[in-house]
Amino acid sequence: MTRTLPLLLLLLGPLARAATVNVTVRDARGGAVNDAVVYAVPEGRELPLAKKSAIMDQKNRMFVPHVLPVQTGTSVRFPNSDDIRHQVYSFSSAKQFQIPLYKGTPANPVVFDRAGVVSLGCSIHDRMTAYVVVVDTPYFATTDRKGRGAISSVGAGKYSLRVWYPDMTTEPAPVPLTLAASDNQELVVTVRK
Amino acid sequence: MLVLAFASHANAGGALQWSGFALLRASNGADTTTLREKELSAQLHVGVDWSPSPFFAAHVHLLARSDDANARRGHFGIVEAYLEARNKYVRLRGGAFFLQTSRENVDALWEPAYTITPSALNSWLGEEFRPIGIDASFTHRGLTAGGTIYRGNDTFGGIPVERGWSMRDHWITLGEWIPVDPDYYTSASAENDHRAGWSARGAWTGANALVQLTHIDNRGDGLPYGRLFNWGTRFDIVSGEYSQGDWTLAAESGWGPSFLIVEGVKYTTDLRASYALVSRRFPRFRATLRADDFKARTHERALTFAFLWTPPGHLRPGFEVTTSDGEQRVIVELRYSFH
Repeated sequence: MTRTLPLLLLLLGPLARAATVNVTVRDARGGAVNDAVVYAVPEGRELPLAKKSAIMDQKNRMFVPHVLPVQTGTSVRFPNSDDIRHQVYSFSSAKQFQIPLYKGTPANPVVFDRAGVVSLGCSIHDRMTAYVVVVDTPYFATTDRKGRGAISSVGAGKYSLRVWYPDMTTEPAPVPLTLAASDNQELVVTVRK
Repeated sequence: MLVLAFASHANAGGALQWSGFALLRASNGADTTTLREKELSAQLHVGVDWSPSPFFAAHVHLLARSDDANARRGHFGIVEAYLEARNKYVRLRGGAFFLQTSRENVDALWEPAYTITPSALNSWLGEEFRPIGIDASFTHRGLTAGGTIYRGNDTFGGIPVERGWSMRDHWITLGEWIPVDPDYYTSASAENDHRAGWSARGAWTGANALVQLTHIDNRGDGLPYGRLFNWGTRFDIVSGEYSQGDWTLAAESGWGPSFLIVEGVKYTTDLRASYALVSRRFPRFRATLRADDFKARTHERALTFAFLWTPPGHLRPGFEVTTSDGEQRVIVELRYSFH
Protein backbone atom coordinates (compact mmCIF):
# COMPACT_ATOMS: atom_id res chain seq x y z
CA MET A 1 0.00 0.00 0.00
CA THR A 2 2.88 2.31 0.86
CA ARG A 3 4.45 1.73 -2.56
CA THR A 4 1.14 1.63 -4.44
CA LEU A 5 -0.20 4.98 -3.35
CA PRO A 6 2.60 7.10 -4.86
CA LEU A 7 2.35 5.05 -8.04
CA LEU A 8 -1.37 5.66 -8.21
CA LEU A 9 -0.84 9.35 -7.63
CA LEU A 10 1.78 9.40 -10.36
CA LEU A 11 -0.53 7.71 -12.81
CA LEU A 12 -3.68 9.57 -11.89
CA GLY A 13 -1.96 12.87 -11.29
CA PRO A 14 -2.33 14.19 -14.82
CA LEU A 15 -6.01 13.23 -14.82
CA ALA A 16 -6.53 14.92 -11.51
CA ARG A 17 -5.03 18.05 -13.02
CA ALA A 18 -7.13 17.81 -16.21
CA ALA A 19 -10.19 19.94 -16.76
CA THR A 20 -13.66 19.00 -17.92
CA VAL A 21 -15.93 21.19 -19.99
CA ASN A 22 -19.61 20.27 -19.91
CA VAL A 23 -21.36 21.81 -22.91
CA THR A 24 -25.09 21.98 -23.46
CA VAL A 25 -26.17 22.85 -26.99
CA ARG A 26 -29.63 24.33 -27.44
CA ASP A 27 -31.51 25.74 -30.38
CA ALA A 28 -33.13 29.18 -30.46
CA ARG A 29 -36.33 27.77 -28.89
CA GLY A 30 -34.40 26.20 -26.03
CA GLY A 31 -34.67 22.66 -27.35
CA ALA A 32 -31.78 20.23 -26.94
CA VAL A 33 -29.57 19.64 -29.98
CA ASN A 34 -28.30 16.08 -30.03
CA ASP A 35 -25.53 14.69 -32.25
CA ALA A 36 -23.73 18.04 -32.13
CA VAL A 37 -19.95 17.89 -31.93
CA VAL A 38 -18.39 20.21 -29.37
CA TYR A 39 -14.64 20.57 -29.47
CA ALA A 40 -11.95 22.69 -27.84
CA VAL A 41 -9.13 23.84 -30.12
CA PRO A 42 -6.01 24.97 -28.23
CA GLU A 43 -4.93 28.48 -29.07
CA GLY A 44 -1.42 29.25 -30.14
CA ARG A 45 -0.19 25.68 -30.39
CA GLU A 46 -0.53 22.96 -32.98
CA LEU A 47 -1.04 19.37 -31.98
CA PRO A 48 0.53 16.41 -33.77
CA LEU A 49 -1.68 14.24 -35.97
CA ALA A 50 -3.46 11.52 -34.08
CA LYS A 51 -2.42 7.91 -34.46
CA LYS A 52 -5.71 6.59 -33.28
CA SER A 53 -8.42 4.43 -34.73
CA ALA A 54 -12.19 4.62 -34.65
CA ILE A 55 -15.12 2.61 -35.94
CA MET A 56 -18.17 3.57 -37.99
CA ASP A 57 -20.38 0.47 -38.10
CA GLN A 58 -23.37 -0.38 -40.32
CA LYS A 59 -26.33 -2.05 -38.61
CA ASN A 60 -29.91 -2.40 -39.82
CA ARG A 61 -29.01 -0.27 -42.84
CA MET A 62 -27.87 2.63 -40.67
CA PHE A 63 -24.47 4.02 -39.87
CA VAL A 64 -23.64 3.71 -36.19
CA PRO A 65 -22.94 6.25 -34.81
CA HIS A 66 -24.71 8.85 -36.91
CA VAL A 67 -22.02 11.41 -36.06
CA LEU A 68 -18.43 10.34 -35.37
CA PRO A 69 -15.94 13.02 -34.28
CA VAL A 70 -12.27 12.12 -34.75
CA GLN A 71 -8.98 13.94 -34.49
CA THR A 72 -7.14 14.66 -37.75
CA GLY A 73 -5.03 11.66 -38.66
CA THR A 74 -7.40 9.04 -37.21
CA SER A 75 -7.92 5.76 -39.10
CA VAL A 76 -11.58 4.79 -39.31
CA ARG A 77 -12.76 1.26 -40.00
CA PHE A 78 -16.16 0.62 -41.57
CA PRO A 79 -17.29 -2.85 -40.51
CA ASN A 80 -20.57 -4.05 -42.03
CA SER A 81 -22.51 -5.81 -39.27
CA ASP A 82 -25.50 -6.41 -41.55
CA ASP A 83 -26.10 -9.63 -43.48
CA ILE A 84 -26.50 -7.63 -46.69
CA ARG A 85 -23.94 -5.68 -48.71
CA HIS A 86 -23.13 -2.00 -48.47
CA GLN A 87 -21.05 0.39 -50.55
CA VAL A 88 -19.80 3.34 -48.49
CA TYR A 89 -18.74 6.56 -50.18
CA SER A 90 -18.17 10.24 -49.53
CA PHE A 91 -17.72 13.16 -51.90
CA SER A 92 -16.91 15.72 -49.21
CA SER A 93 -13.84 17.82 -49.98
CA ALA A 94 -12.31 16.89 -46.61
CA LYS A 95 -12.14 13.24 -47.72
CA GLN A 96 -13.43 11.74 -50.94
CA PHE A 97 -13.45 7.97 -50.99
CA GLN A 98 -15.51 4.93 -51.82
CA ILE A 99 -15.31 1.40 -50.50
CA PRO A 100 -16.42 -1.21 -53.05
CA LEU A 101 -19.45 -3.37 -52.27
CA TYR A 102 -18.70 -5.56 -49.28
CA LYS A 103 -19.79 -7.64 -46.32
CA GLY A 104 -17.74 -7.99 -43.16
CA THR A 105 -14.86 -5.55 -42.58
CA PRO A 106 -12.78 -4.06 -45.39
CA ALA A 107 -9.09 -4.84 -45.16
CA ASN A 108 -7.89 -1.23 -45.06
CA PRO A 109 -9.23 1.58 -42.86
CA VAL A 110 -9.74 5.08 -44.21
CA VAL A 111 -7.37 7.70 -42.80
CA PHE A 112 -8.97 11.11 -42.25
CA ASP A 113 -5.99 13.42 -42.63
CA ARG A 114 -7.73 16.74 -43.18
CA ALA A 115 -10.01 18.71 -40.85
CA GLY A 116 -13.59 19.15 -42.01
CA VAL A 117 -16.96 17.44 -42.17
CA VAL A 118 -17.21 14.25 -44.21
CA SER A 119 -20.73 13.20 -45.25
CA LEU A 120 -21.16 9.46 -45.74
CA GLY A 121 -23.63 7.57 -47.88
CA CYS A 122 -24.30 4.08 -49.22
CA SER A 123 -24.75 3.53 -52.96
CA ILE A 124 -27.22 0.69 -52.34
CA HIS A 125 -29.30 2.25 -49.56
CA ASP A 126 -30.17 5.90 -50.07
CA ARG A 127 -31.46 6.38 -46.54
CA MET A 128 -28.05 5.67 -45.00
CA THR A 129 -26.30 8.91 -44.06
CA ALA A 130 -23.75 9.80 -41.42
CA TYR A 131 -20.96 12.25 -40.69
CA VAL A 132 -17.32 11.97 -39.72
CA VAL A 133 -16.34 15.30 -38.16
CA VAL A 134 -12.57 15.68 -38.36
CA VAL A 135 -11.15 18.22 -35.88
CA ASP A 136 -7.63 19.42 -35.09
CA THR A 137 -7.83 18.54 -31.42
CA PRO A 138 -8.19 15.48 -29.22
CA TYR A 139 -10.66 17.34 -27.01
CA PHE A 140 -14.15 16.72 -28.33
CA ALA A 141 -17.50 15.16 -27.47
CA THR A 142 -20.87 14.42 -29.08
CA THR A 143 -24.01 15.72 -27.41
CA ASP A 144 -26.66 13.30 -26.22
CA ARG A 145 -30.45 13.57 -26.46
CA LYS A 146 -30.40 16.22 -23.77
CA GLY A 147 -27.93 18.24 -25.79
CA ARG A 148 -25.13 17.60 -23.31
CA GLY A 149 -21.56 16.67 -24.17
CA ALA A 150 -18.63 16.40 -21.76
CA ILE A 151 -15.12 17.19 -23.02
CA SER A 152 -12.83 15.59 -20.49
CA SER A 153 -9.09 15.31 -19.78
CA VAL A 154 -8.39 18.80 -21.11
CA GLY A 155 -5.05 20.31 -20.09
CA ALA A 156 -4.83 23.80 -18.66
CA GLY A 157 -4.58 26.60 -21.19
CA LYS A 158 -6.51 28.76 -23.60
CA TYR A 159 -8.93 27.23 -26.02
CA SER A 160 -11.55 28.11 -28.59
CA LEU A 161 -14.76 26.12 -28.11
CA ARG A 162 -16.50 25.32 -31.39
CA VAL A 163 -19.74 23.60 -32.25
CA TRP A 164 -20.87 21.69 -35.32
CA TYR A 165 -24.24 20.00 -35.83
CA PRO A 166 -25.96 18.22 -38.74
CA ASP A 167 -27.52 20.55 -41.34
CA MET A 168 -25.65 23.51 -39.87
CA THR A 169 -25.73 26.46 -42.26
CA THR A 170 -23.77 29.01 -40.21
CA GLU A 171 -21.14 27.98 -37.70
CA PRO A 172 -21.76 29.54 -34.26
CA ALA A 173 -19.15 32.01 -33.11
CA PRO A 174 -16.32 30.25 -31.22
CA VAL A 175 -16.37 30.68 -27.46
CA PRO A 176 -13.02 31.55 -25.86
CA LEU A 177 -12.11 29.34 -22.92
CA THR A 178 -9.41 29.62 -20.34
CA LEU A 179 -9.00 26.47 -18.32
CA ALA A 180 -7.06 25.89 -15.16
CA ALA A 181 -6.03 22.48 -13.92
CA SER A 182 -8.95 20.51 -12.49
CA ASP A 183 -11.49 23.04 -13.77
CA ASN A 184 -15.02 21.82 -14.27
CA GLN A 185 -16.83 24.33 -16.45
CA GLU A 186 -20.44 24.40 -17.56
CA LEU A 187 -21.32 26.12 -20.81
CA VAL A 188 -24.53 26.60 -22.75
CA VAL A 189 -24.26 27.30 -26.46
CA THR A 190 -27.29 28.42 -28.45
CA VAL A 191 -27.28 27.62 -32.16
CA ARG A 192 -29.51 28.66 -35.01
CA LYS A 193 -31.47 25.52 -35.97
CA MET B 1 -16.92 -21.21 -62.66
CA LEU B 2 -14.79 -19.08 -65.01
CA VAL B 3 -16.96 -16.06 -64.19
CA LEU B 4 -16.50 -16.65 -60.46
CA ALA B 5 -12.74 -17.00 -60.80
CA PHE B 6 -12.47 -13.85 -62.90
CA ALA B 7 -14.70 -11.88 -60.55
CA SER B 8 -12.62 -12.67 -57.49
CA HIS B 9 -9.50 -11.31 -59.20
CA ALA B 10 -11.20 -8.31 -60.78
CA ASN B 11 -12.06 -6.93 -57.34
CA ALA B 12 -8.39 -6.40 -56.50
CA GLY B 13 -8.74 -2.63 -56.94
CA GLY B 14 -9.57 0.20 -59.28
CA ALA B 15 -12.90 1.75 -60.29
CA LEU B 16 -14.35 -1.41 -61.88
CA GLN B 17 -16.00 -3.91 -59.56
CA TRP B 18 -17.70 -7.24 -60.09
CA SER B 19 -20.26 -8.69 -57.66
CA GLY B 20 -23.01 -11.24 -57.72
CA PHE B 21 -24.19 -14.62 -56.66
CA ALA B 22 -24.97 -18.07 -57.97
CA LEU B 23 -27.67 -20.32 -56.60
CA LEU B 24 -28.69 -23.94 -56.87
CA ARG B 25 -32.26 -24.62 -55.84
CA ALA B 26 -34.36 -27.73 -55.25
CA SER B 27 -38.09 -27.73 -54.61
CA ASN B 28 -41.02 -30.10 -54.35
CA GLY B 29 -42.01 -28.98 -57.86
CA ALA B 30 -45.17 -27.11 -56.87
CA ASP B 31 -47.23 -26.56 -60.00
CA THR B 32 -49.83 -23.90 -59.22
CA THR B 33 -49.59 -20.49 -60.89
CA THR B 34 -48.81 -18.85 -57.55
CA LEU B 35 -46.20 -21.31 -56.32
CA ARG B 36 -44.74 -22.73 -59.53
CA GLU B 37 -41.12 -23.77 -59.06
CA LYS B 38 -39.05 -26.31 -60.98
CA GLU B 39 -37.76 -29.29 -59.00
CA LEU B 40 -34.19 -28.26 -59.79
CA SER B 41 -33.03 -24.86 -61.02
CA ALA B 42 -30.02 -22.59 -61.04
CA GLN B 43 -29.38 -18.88 -61.44
CA LEU B 44 -26.33 -16.69 -61.87
CA HIS B 45 -26.48 -12.94 -61.21
CA VAL B 46 -23.54 -10.71 -62.04
CA GLY B 47 -23.23 -7.02 -61.24
CA VAL B 48 -20.63 -4.85 -62.93
CA ASP B 49 -20.04 -1.42 -61.40
CA TRP B 50 -17.77 1.31 -62.66
CA SER B 51 -17.33 4.28 -60.34
CA PRO B 52 -14.36 6.49 -61.22
CA SER B 53 -15.45 8.99 -58.57
CA PRO B 54 -18.02 9.14 -55.76
CA PHE B 55 -20.11 11.48 -57.97
CA PHE B 56 -20.64 9.07 -60.84
CA ALA B 57 -21.40 5.40 -61.33
CA ALA B 58 -22.39 2.97 -64.06
CA HIS B 59 -24.11 -0.33 -63.26
CA VAL B 60 -25.05 -3.42 -65.23
CA HIS B 61 -26.87 -6.42 -63.77
CA LEU B 62 -26.71 -9.60 -65.86
CA LEU B 63 -28.66 -12.78 -65.33
CA ALA B 64 -28.49 -16.36 -66.52
CA ARG B 65 -30.98 -19.03 -65.38
CA SER B 66 -31.93 -22.58 -66.17
CA ASP B 67 -35.70 -22.02 -65.82
CA ASP B 68 -36.97 -19.60 -68.47
CA ALA B 69 -40.61 -19.97 -67.36
CA ASN B 70 -41.46 -20.65 -71.03
CA ALA B 71 -40.51 -17.08 -71.88
CA ARG B 72 -38.92 -15.88 -75.11
CA ARG B 73 -35.28 -14.97 -74.40
CA GLY B 74 -35.79 -16.00 -70.80
CA HIS B 75 -32.47 -17.76 -70.13
CA PHE B 76 -30.02 -14.85 -70.37
CA GLY B 77 -30.32 -11.12 -70.29
CA ILE B 78 -29.78 -7.71 -68.82
CA VAL B 79 -31.81 -6.97 -65.70
CA GLU B 80 -30.58 -3.42 -65.15
CA ALA B 81 -28.24 -1.05 -66.95
CA TYR B 82 -27.92 2.58 -65.91
CA LEU B 83 -25.72 5.60 -65.34
CA GLU B 84 -25.93 7.55 -62.13
CA ALA B 85 -24.79 10.99 -61.01
CA ARG B 86 -25.19 12.18 -57.43
CA ASN B 87 -24.23 14.70 -54.83
CA LYS B 88 -25.20 15.17 -51.21
CA TYR B 89 -28.85 15.92 -51.97
CA VAL B 90 -29.65 14.86 -55.54
CA ARG B 91 -29.38 11.59 -57.42
CA LEU B 92 -30.03 11.23 -61.15
CA ARG B 93 -30.29 7.79 -62.72
CA GLY B 94 -30.77 7.05 -66.41
CA GLY B 95 -31.31 3.66 -68.04
CA ALA B 96 -33.23 0.55 -67.00
CA PHE B 97 -33.60 -0.02 -63.29
CA PHE B 98 -35.83 -1.37 -60.53
CA LEU B 99 -38.05 1.31 -59.03
CA GLN B 100 -37.02 2.07 -55.45
CA THR B 101 -40.03 0.76 -53.59
CA SER B 102 -39.38 -2.71 -52.17
CA ARG B 103 -38.80 -3.23 -48.45
CA GLU B 104 -37.77 -6.84 -49.10
CA ASN B 105 -35.32 -6.59 -51.99
CA VAL B 106 -32.86 -4.50 -50.03
CA ASP B 107 -29.60 -6.24 -50.88
CA ALA B 108 -27.44 -5.45 -53.90
CA LEU B 109 -28.79 -6.72 -57.26
CA TRP B 110 -32.32 -6.49 -55.80
CA GLU B 111 -31.71 -9.65 -53.82
CA PRO B 112 -34.33 -10.39 -51.14
CA ALA B 113 -32.75 -10.10 -47.72
CA TYR B 114 -35.28 -11.95 -45.57
CA THR B 115 -36.58 -14.83 -47.67
CA ILE B 116 -35.69 -16.87 -50.75
CA THR B 117 -38.65 -15.76 -52.85
CA PRO B 118 -40.34 -12.37 -52.46
CA SER B 119 -43.95 -11.46 -51.82
CA ALA B 120 -46.57 -11.58 -54.56
CA LEU B 121 -46.31 -7.79 -54.82
CA ASN B 122 -42.55 -7.69 -55.40
CA SER B 123 -42.59 -10.85 -57.49
CA TRP B 124 -44.93 -8.97 -59.83
CA LEU B 125 -42.82 -5.80 -59.87
CA GLY B 126 -39.69 -7.86 -60.57
CA GLU B 127 -41.38 -9.90 -63.28
CA GLU B 128 -43.29 -7.22 -65.17
CA PHE B 129 -42.04 -3.71 -64.35
CA ARG B 130 -38.69 -2.17 -65.22
CA PRO B 131 -38.66 1.59 -65.86
CA ILE B 132 -36.50 2.52 -68.84
CA GLY B 133 -35.96 6.22 -68.45
CA ILE B 134 -34.80 8.81 -65.96
CA ASP B 135 -35.22 8.86 -62.20
CA ALA B 136 -34.45 11.89 -60.04
CA SER B 137 -34.59 12.11 -56.26
CA PHE B 138 -33.89 14.79 -53.70
CA THR B 139 -33.13 13.96 -50.08
CA HIS B 140 -32.77 16.38 -47.18
CA ARG B 141 -33.31 16.03 -43.43
CA GLY B 142 -34.78 12.57 -43.72
CA LEU B 143 -37.30 13.45 -46.42
CA THR B 144 -37.03 12.16 -49.98
CA ALA B 145 -39.00 13.16 -53.04
CA GLY B 146 -38.48 11.28 -56.28
CA GLY B 147 -39.93 11.00 -59.75
CA THR B 148 -39.46 8.81 -62.79
CA ILE B 149 -40.29 9.30 -66.46
CA TYR B 150 -39.99 6.09 -68.42
CA ARG B 151 -40.63 4.24 -71.63
CA GLY B 152 -41.58 0.61 -72.07
CA ASN B 153 -43.77 -1.27 -69.60
CA ASP B 154 -46.87 -0.89 -71.81
CA THR B 155 -48.00 -4.42 -70.89
CA PHE B 156 -47.60 -3.88 -67.13
CA GLY B 157 -50.70 -5.40 -65.49
CA GLY B 158 -51.15 -8.44 -67.73
CA ILE B 159 -49.52 -10.91 -65.33
CA PRO B 160 -51.81 -10.58 -62.26
CA VAL B 161 -54.98 -10.28 -64.35
CA GLU B 162 -54.44 -12.82 -67.13
CA ARG B 163 -51.94 -15.34 -65.76
CA GLY B 164 -52.32 -14.80 -62.04
CA TRP B 165 -50.03 -13.73 -59.24
CA SER B 166 -46.86 -15.65 -58.57
CA MET B 167 -44.40 -15.75 -55.70
CA ARG B 168 -41.03 -16.29 -57.33
CA ASP B 169 -37.86 -14.45 -58.25
CA HIS B 170 -38.12 -14.37 -62.04
CA TRP B 171 -36.74 -10.90 -62.80
CA ILE B 172 -37.71 -9.93 -66.32
CA THR B 173 -34.78 -9.01 -68.54
CA LEU B 174 -34.70 -6.40 -71.29
CA GLY B 175 -36.25 -7.82 -74.43
CA GLU B 176 -37.74 -10.84 -72.67
CA TRP B 177 -41.33 -11.84 -73.43
CA ILE B 178 -43.19 -13.73 -70.67
CA PRO B 179 -46.44 -15.54 -71.61
CA VAL B 180 -49.57 -14.40 -69.74
CA ASP B 181 -51.99 -16.62 -71.62
CA PRO B 182 -51.86 -18.86 -74.71
CA ASP B 183 -52.10 -15.87 -77.04
CA TYR B 184 -50.28 -12.96 -75.44
CA TYR B 185 -47.03 -12.02 -73.76
CA THR B 186 -45.85 -9.30 -71.45
CA SER B 187 -42.56 -7.44 -71.86
CA ALA B 188 -41.04 -4.65 -69.80
CA SER B 189 -39.36 -3.44 -73.01
CA ALA B 190 -42.70 -3.09 -74.84
CA GLU B 191 -43.21 0.47 -76.10
CA ASN B 192 -46.19 0.29 -78.42
CA ASP B 193 -48.24 3.42 -77.81
CA HIS B 194 -45.38 5.97 -77.56
CA ARG B 195 -46.77 7.34 -74.32
CA ALA B 196 -44.27 7.81 -71.50
CA GLY B 197 -45.19 6.44 -68.11
CA TRP B 198 -44.38 8.14 -64.85
CA SER B 199 -43.96 7.48 -61.17
CA ALA B 200 -43.64 9.66 -58.09
CA ARG B 201 -42.62 8.82 -54.55
CA GLY B 202 -42.13 10.45 -51.20
CA ALA B 203 -40.43 8.96 -48.18
CA TRP B 204 -39.68 9.80 -44.60
CA THR B 205 -36.72 8.16 -42.89
CA GLY B 206 -36.32 8.18 -39.12
CA ALA B 207 -33.75 6.64 -36.82
CA ASN B 208 -35.18 3.13 -37.09
CA ALA B 209 -38.08 3.46 -39.48
CA LEU B 210 -39.05 4.37 -43.01
CA VAL B 211 -42.39 5.14 -44.63
CA GLN B 212 -42.81 5.63 -48.39
CA LEU B 213 -45.68 6.42 -50.73
CA THR B 214 -45.35 5.61 -54.43
CA HIS B 215 -47.61 6.16 -57.41
CA ILE B 216 -47.06 4.33 -60.72
CA ASP B 217 -48.87 5.09 -63.97
CA ASN B 218 -47.73 3.40 -67.16
CA ARG B 219 -50.29 5.38 -69.24
CA GLY B 220 -50.86 2.31 -71.36
CA ASP B 221 -53.60 2.65 -73.98
CA GLY B 222 -55.08 -0.81 -73.34
CA LEU B 223 -54.88 -1.93 -76.98
CA PRO B 224 -53.41 -5.06 -78.60
CA TYR B 225 -50.18 -4.94 -80.62
CA GLY B 226 -49.54 -8.30 -82.23
CA ARG B 227 -48.72 -10.81 -79.46
CA LEU B 228 -48.40 -8.03 -76.87
CA PHE B 229 -51.46 -6.53 -75.18
CA ASN B 230 -51.08 -3.12 -73.56
CA TRP B 231 -52.62 -2.68 -70.13
CA GLY B 232 -53.33 0.76 -68.68
CA THR B 233 -52.24 0.39 -65.06
CA ARG B 234 -52.19 2.82 -62.18
CA PHE B 235 -50.88 1.50 -58.90
CA ASP B 236 -50.24 3.03 -55.49
CA ILE B 237 -47.95 1.52 -52.90
CA VAL B 238 -47.52 2.41 -49.26
CA SER B 239 -44.51 0.74 -47.68
CA GLY B 240 -42.84 0.84 -44.33
CA GLU B 241 -40.27 -0.82 -42.19
CA TYR B 242 -39.05 -0.68 -38.63
CA SER B 243 -35.88 -2.17 -37.19
CA GLN B 244 -34.89 -2.52 -33.57
CA GLY B 245 -31.90 -4.59 -32.54
CA ASP B 246 -32.12 -7.93 -34.33
CA TRP B 247 -35.78 -7.51 -35.31
CA THR B 248 -37.17 -6.11 -38.55
CA LEU B 249 -40.79 -5.46 -39.40
CA ALA B 250 -41.68 -4.63 -43.00
CA ALA B 251 -44.95 -4.24 -44.82
CA GLU B 252 -46.23 -3.00 -48.17
CA SER B 253 -49.69 -2.54 -49.56
CA GLY B 254 -50.48 -1.78 -53.18
CA TRP B 255 -53.70 -1.18 -55.04
CA GLY B 256 -54.95 0.21 -58.33
CA PRO B 257 -56.89 -0.43 -61.54
CA SER B 258 -55.65 -2.01 -64.72
CA PHE B 259 -57.64 -1.93 -67.95
CA LEU B 260 -57.59 -3.16 -71.50
CA ILE B 261 -59.88 -2.48 -74.43
CA VAL B 262 -61.34 -5.34 -76.41
CA GLU B 263 -63.42 -4.53 -79.48
CA GLY B 264 -64.07 -1.07 -78.15
CA VAL B 265 -65.15 -2.20 -74.67
CA LYS B 266 -63.01 -1.23 -71.68
CA TYR B 267 -62.50 -3.93 -69.08
CA THR B 268 -61.06 -2.88 -65.71
CA THR B 269 -59.71 -5.09 -62.95
CA ASP B 270 -58.84 -3.80 -59.51
CA LEU B 271 -55.47 -5.12 -58.36
CA ARG B 272 -54.50 -5.44 -54.74
CA ALA B 273 -51.42 -6.96 -53.11
CA SER B 274 -50.08 -6.64 -49.59
CA TYR B 275 -47.68 -8.37 -47.29
CA ALA B 276 -46.29 -8.05 -43.80
CA LEU B 277 -43.18 -9.76 -42.51
CA VAL B 278 -41.32 -10.11 -39.28
CA SER B 279 -37.69 -11.16 -39.38
CA ARG B 280 -35.16 -11.86 -36.68
CA ARG B 281 -31.44 -12.10 -37.14
CA PHE B 282 -29.47 -14.54 -35.01
CA PRO B 283 -25.66 -14.81 -34.86
CA ARG B 284 -25.50 -17.41 -37.65
CA PHE B 285 -28.95 -17.40 -39.24
CA ARG B 286 -32.08 -15.42 -39.98
CA ALA B 287 -35.70 -16.50 -39.58
CA THR B 288 -38.63 -14.75 -41.29
CA LEU B 289 -42.38 -15.14 -41.31
CA ARG B 290 -44.38 -13.38 -44.02
CA ALA B 291 -48.10 -13.17 -44.73
CA ASP B 292 -49.34 -12.24 -48.22
CA ASP B 293 -52.77 -11.17 -49.44
CA PHE B 294 -53.34 -10.54 -53.16
CA LYS B 295 -56.30 -10.13 -55.47
CA ALA B 296 -56.97 -9.67 -59.15
CA ARG B 297 -59.72 -11.89 -60.56
CA THR B 298 -59.38 -14.21 -57.56
CA HIS B 299 -58.45 -13.49 -53.98
CA GLU B 300 -55.55 -15.47 -52.52
CA ARG B 301 -53.49 -15.57 -49.38
CA ALA B 302 -50.13 -17.12 -48.59
CA LEU B 303 -47.93 -17.74 -45.59
CA THR B 304 -44.14 -18.11 -45.92
CA PHE B 305 -41.52 -19.21 -43.43
CA ALA B 306 -37.87 -18.83 -44.40
CA PHE B 307 -34.72 -19.91 -42.62
CA LEU B 308 -31.42 -18.58 -43.96
CA TRP B 309 -28.02 -19.67 -42.61
CA THR B 310 -25.59 -16.78 -42.66
CA PRO B 311 -22.20 -18.15 -41.64
CA PRO B 312 -19.07 -16.10 -42.30
CA GLY B 313 -17.90 -16.47 -45.85
CA HIS B 314 -19.62 -16.70 -49.19
CA LEU B 315 -22.16 -19.50 -48.79
CA ARG B 316 -25.77 -19.02 -47.71
CA PRO B 317 -27.90 -22.15 -47.43
CA GLY B 318 -31.60 -21.50 -47.15
CA PHE B 319 -34.90 -23.22 -46.55
CA GLU B 320 -38.35 -21.85 -47.30
CA VAL B 321 -41.88 -23.22 -47.14
CA THR B 322 -44.90 -21.38 -48.56
CA THR B 323 -48.54 -22.38 -48.28
CA SER B 324 -51.26 -20.82 -50.38
CA ASP B 325 -54.86 -21.94 -50.71
CA GLY B 326 -54.14 -25.49 -49.68
CA GLU B 327 -50.99 -25.91 -51.80
CA GLN B 328 -47.50 -26.04 -50.38
CA ARG B 329 -44.09 -25.30 -51.85
CA VAL B 330 -40.82 -26.27 -50.20
CA ILE B 331 -37.51 -24.82 -51.38
CA VAL B 332 -33.98 -25.73 -50.36
CA GLU B 333 -31.25 -23.58 -51.78
CA LEU B 334 -27.51 -23.07 -51.70
CA ARG B 335 -26.37 -19.55 -52.60
CA TYR B 336 -22.79 -18.46 -53.18
CA SER B 337 -21.94 -14.75 -53.20
CA PHE B 338 -18.80 -13.49 -54.87
CA HIS B 339 -17.60 -9.91 -54.35
